[in-house]
Amino acid sequence: MTQPILVLDRVTKRFAGHVAVDSLSLVVPPGVIYGLLGPNGAGKSTTIRMIMNIYVPDGGSVQLFGEPGGRDHSARIGYLPEERGLYPKMRVLDVLLFLAEMKGMDRRATRPQASQWLERLGLGDWAQRKVNELSKGMQQKVQFISTILHDPDLLVMDEAFSGLDPVNSQILKDTVLELRSRGKTILLSTHIMEQAEKLCDHVCIIARGKKLVDGTLADVKRTRSGHHVLVNFDGARGDADRIFGDRRLATKADVSGQFAELELAPGADAQQILQALVSSGARLSRFELAEPSLNKIFIDLVGPDAATPAERAEVIDA
Amino acid sequence: MHKIFAVVRREFVERVRKRSFWIMAILGPVFFAAVFLLPILLSGASGHKHIVLVDRTSSGFGTAVAKTLDSAGHFTVERLAGRAGIEDSLRDLVGRKELDGFLLLTDSALETGTAEYRASNVSALEDIAQLREILGRLAVEGRLTRLGVDPGLVAKAQVHFRLTTQKITRGKTTGESAGQSFSLAYFMSVTLYIALLLYGVQVMGSVMEEKTSKIVEVLASSLRPFQLLMGKLLGVGAASLLQFVIWGAAGRLMLSQRMALMAKMGGGAGSGGEGGLFQVPQHIPSSTLVIFILFFLGGYFLYSAMFAAVAAMSGTEQEARQSQAPVTMLIMIAFFSSFAILANPESNLAVALTLIPFTAPIATPVRWAAGSLNWTEVVASLALLIVGIVVVTWVASRIYRVGILMTGKRPSVAELVRWVRTA
Repeated sequence: MTQPILVLDRVTKRFAGHVAVDSLSLVVPPGVIYGLLGPNGAGKSTTIRMIMNIYVPDGGSVQLFGEPGGRDHSARIGYLPEERGLYPKMRVLDVLLFLAEMKGMDRRATRPQASQWLERLGLGDWAQRKVNELSKGMQQKVQFISTILHDPDLLVMDEAFSGLDPVNSQILKDTVLELRSRGKTILLSTHIMEQAEKLCDHVCIIARGKKLVDGTLADVKRTRSGHHVLVNFDGARGDADRIFGDRRLATKADVSGQFAELELAPGADAQQILQALVSSGARLSRFELAEPSLNKIFIDLVGPDAATPAERAEVIDA
Repeated sequence: MHKIFAVVRREFVERVRKRSFWIMAILGPVFFAAVFLLPILLSGASGHKHIVLVDRTSSGFGTAVAKTLDSAGHFTVERLAGRAGIEDSLRDLVGRKELDGFLLLTDSALETGTAEYRASNVSALEDIAQLREILGRLAVEGRLTRLGVDPGLVAKAQVHFRLTTQKITRGKTTGESAGQSFSLAYFMSVTLYIALLLYGVQVMGSVMEEKTSKIVEVLASSLRPFQLLMGKLLGVGAASLLQFVIWGAAGRLMLSQRMALMAKMGGGAGSGGEGGLFQVPQHIPSSTLVIFILFFLGGYFLYSAMFAAVAAMSGTEQEARQSQAPVTMLIMIAFFSSFAILANPESNLAVALTLIPFTAPIATPVRWAAGSLNWTEVVASLALLIVGIVVVTWVASRIYRVGILMTGKRPSVAELVRWVRTA
């Protein structure tokens, strides 16, 4: 197997009073879009900040490009923090060049690339304007350019799509996909599962600082498929309610009118349910063993209570 | 190094590009020129005065006064006999600005040495001084004549005694007067005080900007906070040094051209007064300039590092303004204690103030300009200042390092100590 781009080995981060990240391990292979998923307050940003060497882990280790993590790798990483920000009074092009210099780039050599990117994202006419004259969306695009201008091998985006309108969101997605096609690795955090499902090859779902599941999106879904049954009725429902309520068959059933999504009980056979339904006189237009949506997996795993974030500690023990 | 340089360049270029930078650069010298020239101009620019002398003397005293005043050039004098009620009509004339004032002379002037001058402007010091001088001289002459003494003889015997002061600095006579070295020391003290505050607050603003705009997170992942802090201090320092050079050049130019300037503006030559406390120095010695710049830079680094730490631990501009009080207080102590130094540059207090890093940036240049320091003491002061800078920067950069990424409530002192120890 090729060497992973990023390895977290049991990293832990404690803030005054609570554990933000609890012995989290994950492996990001090269050339993938990796989704770090979790509800608000799950520890996504803290994890990312440890990867970016902004926080020092209290335990465990971070490995980047096969070496111990640290600021030395910053030239190979592009970082879009959760809280976006640029120098409001600087000119757009100057900000981009300055941030590229912070990544060790040469100012003069970067200039044409910066202009090219601005052109490409429709900001060509704004290069000499001050940042605070731009709209929020335009500033977001400028910041995005700043994270990829130095052509990083790893792109880390915290809450990648927050605050973007659908058009800009699409532009961002297209760019991210193009970067992957060029062999770059993208780690993004989000709590919007629909986006993650469309974009990510790998996912890691965390809640309250702990990993719940990780792997390729397909694997994560497969381990949970076969357990899911989608049923559409065609008029007569037969004895459906009693069958769905049988805990030996289904542990959970979301029924809404003519549609139901069931979770099979351990050891139960979907065929049993089908047989029972048909013999009770139900008419079916669909009976499908399905892969659950990422959203469904997420909610099942995280549970309703984990979605309320733990109190955020703002004081840092660095 | 490349990254520090990029930070330095950004700070410098962004600052120098601002209109306010050049406004400050130009307004600074104008302001200082005003401080030095305005009093001179104001006292000298009273112009020609048309007055009436109401003569109620029986001797020829009134006539003599009118003649002498007229020939002095500054006044046009009309002598009127002192009929009753004349004061009222003259007062009306003054009210209508047809007359500048009138002088009331009686026979008692010679006896008591008193007279009365009523005018629209009695604070024109030059006018009053000339009136008093002429009246006094003529009164003395009149009294001498009455006593049978020849005033010419007395004039011959009189001598105007002049005591010139020459400062001995570090074993050499410098040709500077006491007044000149005092004003130079005073001027440096004020300039250093303003500059340390001004540029320290600029560093603070720069840190706040990065913190409130959240860009600091990207920076912190790209370079060490210490690099960022150093780049910032050097960048703002370079911009402020440029401003200083502009001020210095303008100041020297104004000094060398001040006679011409004053003449052009209508001020009397030498109206600064010879014995006065404030005198424009003839020239500023290079050694003084070097020490001034060295200690300005030292003080700048010392205090700006503290300002940076203050900004880093504050969440908002408002919080920063509150937390900067201890730092501002230190600068103020340094400034106000320089008055004690000026009063007595050799005192134990003055010596202590030159050795304490927090007061040295102002105290040492002031004592040097006042002429009571030799090079050994300057070197000792500078060495201690550098030690102070290293220690303060070390502590400040640790607070800075943790603080720039912190949001939320301001840390307590105990938390600050923990930051410094664990960062």
